[in-house]
Amino acid sequence: MVNPGGTLSWDWHPGTIPVNAVIDETAYVETTYSFVLYRSIVPVGVSIGKGTSVYKGTMFDVGNQGQVNLGNYTLLNGTRIVCDAEIKIGDYALISWNVVLMDTYRISFLPAERRQELERVSKRELRRIDANVQARPINIESNVWIGFDACVLPGVTIGEGSIVGARSVVTTDVEPYTIVAGNPARFIRRLDE
Amino acid sequence: MNSEEYSDTIFPLSSEESSKPGYWVGGELPENVRIGSNTIITGELAFKRFHSKRKSALNIGTDSTMEGVHFAIGPDGHIEIGNYCYFTNAILLCELEIKIGSYVVIGWNTTIADTDFHPIAPAERIADAIACSPLNKNQPRPEIVRKKVIIEDDVWIGPNATILKGVHIGAGAFIEAGTLVVNDIPPRVRVMGNPAQIIGEV
Repeated sequence: MVNPGGTLSWDWHPGTIPVNAVIDETAYVETTYSFVLYRSIVPVGVSIGKGTSVYKGTMFDVGNQGQVNLGNYTLLNGTRIVCDAEIKIGDYALISWNVVLMDTYRISFLPAERRQELERVSKRELRRIDANVQARPINIESNVWIGFDACVLPGVTIGEGSIVGARSVVTTDVEPYTIVAGNPARFIRRLDE
Repeated sequence: MNSEEYSDTIFPLSSEESSKPGYWVGGELPENVRIGSNTIITGELAFKRFHSKRKSALNIGTDSTMEGVHFAIGPDGHIEIGNYCYFTNAILLCELEIKIGSYVVIGWNTTIADTDFHPIAPAERIADAIACSPLNKNQPRPEIVRKKVIIEDDVWIGPNATILKGVHIGAGAFIEAGTLVVNDIPPRVRVMGNPAQIIGEV
């Protein structure tokens, strides 16, 4: 059982599940180490559905206002989630290792503003970049498969049933039931619905 | 190669009396590593692959954050990092020299390498494989190409990016997530792709 605020009997890391997590009793979380970068304070910062598994290497790097929703029967196998707004993953999704899902760049595009933030970061007790830049939610619909080392950039929606090839970088929306691959990712072919 | 052939510049340490000395959470730093005040290195594995014999192997300026960075530095390697840098889980593979300026941000799981580690020519690669095998301890390896990597001030490098040998990235450049950089990047441009293409200006 994975209880909010509780520890995991099989865990090697001496941590706890966040108190504002909603986790189905049939879901599996391999280690609470996945939450060492988690600092969401919204009512439900992370929800994990029925039969979903979150394996080691997965990191919930979730900011104060971030919200991560995982559907049912979804599998995260070492995925890096960088979330300051909302990252939603549907049902039956398969997300591979070293995949980066980022809904924010966390810091300004302008060098002068980056300097200011980096100077502030160095004075913080917890050294986190927190520049309050615009985050744009990511929506990964059901039955999506993302290959290893891929990156999904802010604001992207990946339609139902689609496949993202390994090491792709997804910069724009992906239509349902298509295969995309490449850096930047481009359309490869359509899949039967 | 003579280890002292390259100038081992030392970044000026902060003059502020109040600032705390820098530290590594994993314990005592190797003696040829120097870090400025208020610079923090986290991660038990930071020096797991650190083998530099240089008198000055790694210099980091002040106020930098090195979160889970791997300093995989070979016997002749030397890395120089400026002030106010922020790296998360970057892997720095250095056999010669990697120079990084100030205010540089490097995202998670990004690799920077100043060498290909093995020769290109097939026959030389066989010789290298034999030299690397447990049957040939201390056998000299063939010459391997190494080229300095230079990253100037204010550069942002996204997660899952790769920067390969000989690359010079100009000040203020923005390297998107997942980009593979094999050629020089001019200052203040935004690049992405494999290989990296300029997609705009900063």
